[in-house]
Amino acid sequence: MTTSAPADHANLLVHAYLDGELDPAHALEVERQLARDPVLAAEHAQLEGLQRLIRELPLESAPQGLTRRIEAAIGMPQAARWASHLSHHPTWRALAASVVLAAFLASGSTWFALRPSPTATVADMVVANHLRALMAPQPADVASSDQHTVKPWFDGRIPESPRVVDLSQQGFPLVGGRIDVIGRVPVPTLVYRRRQHLISLSSVPSSASAILEAVPRAIAGYNIVSWTDDGLTYWAVSDVAPADLHSFAQDFRAVGH
Amino acid sequence: MLVEIRNKTPKGLSSTVEAPSAGRLNGDQDRIRFQSVVMPHLGDAYALARWLTGDRADAEDVVQEACLHAFRGIGSFAGVNARAWLLTIVRRAAYAWLKENRSAALVMVDDLVAIEEKQSKQCAASGEIGSQTPEAALIAKADAARLESAIAALPLPFRETLVLRDIQELDYREIAEVTKVPVGTVMSRLARARRRLITSLATDVP
Repeated sequence: MTTSAPADHANLLVHAYLDGELDPAHALEVERQLARDPVLAAEHAQLEGLQRLIRELPLESAPQGLTRRIEAAIGMPQAARWASHLSHHPTWRALAASVVLAAFLASGSTWFALRPSPTATVADMVVANHLRALMAPQPADVASSDQHTVKPWFDGRIPESPRVVDLSQQGFPLVGGRIDVIGRVPVPTLVYRRRQHLISLSSVPSSASAILEAVPRAIAGYNIVSWTDDGLTYWAVSDVAPADLHSFAQDFRAVGH
Repeated sequence: MLVEIRNKTPKGLSSTVEAPSAGRLNGDQDRIRFQSVVMPHLGDAYALARWLTGDRADAEDVVQEACLHAFRGIGSFAGVNARAWLLTIVRRAAYAWLKENRSAALVMVDDLVAIEEKQSKQCAASGEIGSQTPEAALIAKADAARLESAIAALPLPFRETLVLRDIQELDYREIAEVTKVPVGTVMSRLARARRRLITSLATDVP
């Protein structure tokens, strides 16, 4: 009865299986072992229960005062600090929902904190939008993993609601949607998740972004993938690995086409 | 305004960055980069610091210290994985803080493994833990407070590995990078951390 600390190879593989770290061949092998070894299966069930419990622990965000102190300590200019705090403020969410106001603000000082040059490219703007969403209390204005909830939300807010696809099978569950402003055009942005990382996917009418620009592969540490389908230019931004972002783009294009 | 805010800086922090006028090295570009690279991950940085120090106020000190390091080093950030980069710096700052304030918390890992092997042999001999306790049922009943204190009681190397994996959801390779150990060590620490938690939740019934 020494099942208390089985730190052997099979046990480590069960942990790796639980963490999604195994390639398909090894994962299959572990599944076979779990099926025929009740002790190992019990271990797996315990670990799964523990992991679920840990993930349900309440997350605590950084105190507001800390954010301010850090920004002050590095000498962040007042305007930039104001801009970043605006996104923390609840009323900012209401503002963002109002397209006219958002378009107005986008032309003004809210870009200051994140815009590297006066002539921001579309890539700069999608990264800025993604960052602001990360810093806001919620990354999406409509939070739902159901495409049939997210898509109708866009109706009436913008001229054309975007194509929303379910990619949970591919490991990219839907988080929700929001309206971003690129240039002065309100555009739909879908938010997907890869593990703990968020992916923002904006679609811009191709005519509105007709100026040919070289798409950088990354800005400020955020990877970017862009493609054009059916008259829309799609922009995917995330801090997931470039390979993951490319497979996200492939999966998105593959589903429903 | 700047001075007023800076006066609220917690005690014990020696390093501050020069005011904007001195910005030859730390220019506006660096501030913009810092804003986009570091600030989005501040929540993660704070969470890790809190789990490592075990205290909210100490965590704030550690994060602020780490952010100043990150700001000074922002030019050397390669732009690949901002979160792992920041967490590495936070971890280093937390260890420095622990060394200064709680040297007892920094038990050597080699000692840990030896202690643990001894304990597990004793347990096996007495049949104390190995018997078929309905651990799964007890775990299901464990509440958040008990789980948190069980995690807080884990030795540091196990705790940080578990937190990075199960709370911050880094993958094994990222954890190896942040904690500066091989992936094999990450795996065994994770297994030991989880085993300890299960045992502690199953036995420390209130």
